[in-house]
Amino acid sequence: MTEILRRLWRTLQGRLGLMLLLIILLACLFGPALAPFDPEAIDFMGRYAAPSVRHWLGGDQLGRDVFSRLLWGARTTVPLALLATLGGTIVGAVIGTASAFWGGRVDEAIMRTVDAVMAIPGLLMALLIVGTLGAGSGNAALAVAIAFVPSMARITRSVALSVRRLDYVGAALARGEGAGWIVLAEMLPNVIAPIVVETTIRVAFAVMVFATLSFLGLGAQPPAADWGLMAAEARRTLHQAPWTMIGPAGAIALTAIGFNLLGDGLRDALNPRDER
Amino acid sequence: MTALLAVEDYTLGYRVAGTIRPVLEALSLQIAPGEVLGLVGESGSGKSSLASAIMRALPRNAREAGGRIAFTGQDLRGLAEPALRPVRGRRIGMVFQDPSAALNPTLTIGRQVREVLHLHRGLAPAAAHREALDILGHVGLHDPAALLRRYPHQVSGGEKQRVLIATAFATRPELLILDEPTTALDVITGTRILDLFAALLHETGAGALYISHDLALVARVSHRVAVLRAGRLVEQGPARRIFAAPEHAYTRELADAVPRPERRLTHSTPGGPLLELDRVSVTYGARRLFAPAPVPVVSEVSFTVRDGEILGVVGESGSGKSTLARALTGLVPHAGALRLRGAAVGRMGRDYRRAVQIVFQHPDASLNPRHTVGSQIARPLKLFGGDVSDVQRLLDQVRLPASYASRYPHQLSGGEKQRVAIARAFAARPALVICDEITAPLDVSVQATVIELLLELHRSHGTAYLFITHDLNLVRQIAHRIAVMQAGRLVDLQSSAAVAGGEGAAYTRALIDASPRLEHFPSQVARK
Repeated sequence: MTEILRRLWRTLQGRLGLMLLLIILLACLFGPALAPFDPEAIDFMGRYAAPSVRHWLGGDQLGRDVFSRLLWGARTTVPLALLATLGGTIVGAVIGTASAFWGGRVDEAIMRTVDAVMAIPGLLMALLIVGTLGAGSGNAALAVAIAFVPSMARITRSVALSVRRLDYVGAALARGEGAGWIVLAEMLPNVIAPIVVETTIRVAFAVMVFATLSFLGLGAQPPAADWGLMAAEARRTLHQAPWTMIGPAGAIALTAIGFNLLGDGLRDALNPRDER
Repeated sequence: MTALLAVEDYTLGYRVAGTIRPVLEALSLQIAPGEVLGLVGESGSGKSSLASAIMRALPRNAREAGGRIAFTGQDLRGLAEPALRPVRGRRIGMVFQDPSAALNPTLTIGRQVREVLHLHRGLAPAAAHREALDILGHVGLHDPAALLRRYPHQVSGGEKQRVLIATAFATRPELLILDEPTTALDVITGTRILDLFAALLHETGAGALYISHDLALVARVSHRVAVLRAGRLVEQGPARRIFAAPEHAYTRELADAVPRPERRLTHSTPGGPLLELDRVSVTYGARRLFAPAPVPVVSEVSFTVRDGEILGVVGESGSGKSTLARALTGLVPHAGALRLRGAAVGRMGRDYRRAVQIVFQHPDASLNPRHTVGSQIARPLKLFGGDVSDVQRLLDQVRLPASYASRYPHQLSGGEKQRVAIARAFAARPALVICDEITAPLDVSVQATVIELLLELHRSHGTAYLFITHDLNLVRQIAHRIAVMQAGRLVDLQSSAAVAGGEGAAYTRALIDASPRLEHFPSQVARK
């Protein structure tokens, strides 16, 4: 693990990504302690306050401090996006690898099901699930996770198909290993690199889907300091007070860039043959 | 007379993680016009780097520390890219190891050959086409017109290599660099390619640098041989002298490692029947309604492997040897019956899986890159009931240090990886180990040590081997009996002594004649 971090640090993308994510991690851990204001304190005199020394990123339509809300919001937004992505990735990766391992009719059945699910747009799928289970952050995370499964399964399968033909899988079959061991222990670790890269990119996407769900009133509920919800609320006052949009949008963008850079760095660092 | 190619005091290194790793050190060699210089060395000795240096196609992290590479008196190192273009491909031709990687899979062969003729000889499309037909016919390819219309995946490896050699000679180069041109081919095809190469060199009078790890091959085609070890030239001289009286200890080591069929290495006697094959057939692809039935890859092969017997299986590539190995380990479905120690094998159960182990050709692919050596060897122990602490003993048995248990496969050399694969097979305490071309990807010297190891394990455990190879010399050294396969059928099954005595099918004798031997002196080129 330290070896991978060390290699990650050597690449420029990895270093930038790690630094960005470290800032976000600090915001998640110590955000509330660092925040200068209560995120839900309404200040009528400070409505649409321009950025100043007092309000670094300005105030929103209720006079709440945008910077403080961002720091508080990191806690709900980033871990939830990560969790949803990881959940979707793990399930998708196992399904894809197992599908590639069995091949033939089983593969055909799994992949056609995946195709059918993919025919429904991801957001619509998430809306359906949240609509059925009820609004709320937890259900939104579940919806995002489920919406990510089919495409992850498809990506994993394409990589796993080439691994399936390699002799170490043959060697495992020849010594009579069970399907569980071959899929989880022999194949999965070898398809992980592209999955990790894809996952990091998807985290950014998950943050945005959350924002959309919140915007539609199906994710985080006001007055929560969710970044997506903040951006959604700021839409109406974009011309009046652009900073209410710039704050959360910038935070989402930085998180997305951070995870993307980390993904690029990891792609190089996870290659076991790369001995740099 | 100036040398065609003179490498003088050439030093090369690769920059890895901030430090320069030396590859070639103060290397000097010369090739006279019309001369074939064989360059022999193990993998990692810098042979291919030298080829890249001459072609000026070094990777970006290469650092040249000095010396000259003079081609007809002109230093190639000083030439800029535009000045190099007429030299590369036209005056210096190159043939690579893997013909399927050297041809672009998305273009027809005709287009690729015509492009070379157009670029280097300035021929117009129609003239280039006529010339292409002519040169391909000249290298013994049937129906060149049809071949030119095909894509690389539609022709065999041998045909591809012929096309590449024909194209390389078509630009009338003064120097040809051949980097292991027959390694990816089987013996018979490889021999035909060598004959062709010798004839073309004789005809055109071009000089050549022939790179290989196989001494017997190099002896067959070269006038002079240079032996490279870890970037340094240890010996250089006429081919005949180098092998008849090697001066350097390393050269002697290399010469000794070449398999000689008359030197038998096995002295055991096999016991009763172990694994019986009764009309085993393998067919890929399902029968379709209106399509003709698929041709079986292995058809009705019957033989018996006895307890403690080394049974060699030889044949050209595509003869079904490897498919047979995969069928016997249950990796592909087969028709026909198997009997293990007299008991019919229905579904391959635990006992069968334990008794029959396989070692694959490529250790890179057969070891999982994400598991440590130790955990991979421990896996059969866990499955078939053994003590996990046996890993140390097994590593010791294949002569690897115990510390290797915590290493990952990519930290090991090719020979070491193959030892790990062997240790893993023996962890199950098998009665039969199927060795599927296990020495083919290894250097001759490493191959010799792996064979020695296998024989030692054979002596101490009494394990039977089904030894699949295309190296007839090697199998004649170690096998009790030799089975010969051709196009999926068993055409011959003789004891090694009978094979040596010239008995057996005509095809077997053809295979023996195709195998290179050190006694093939004077070498073919020199003879002409």
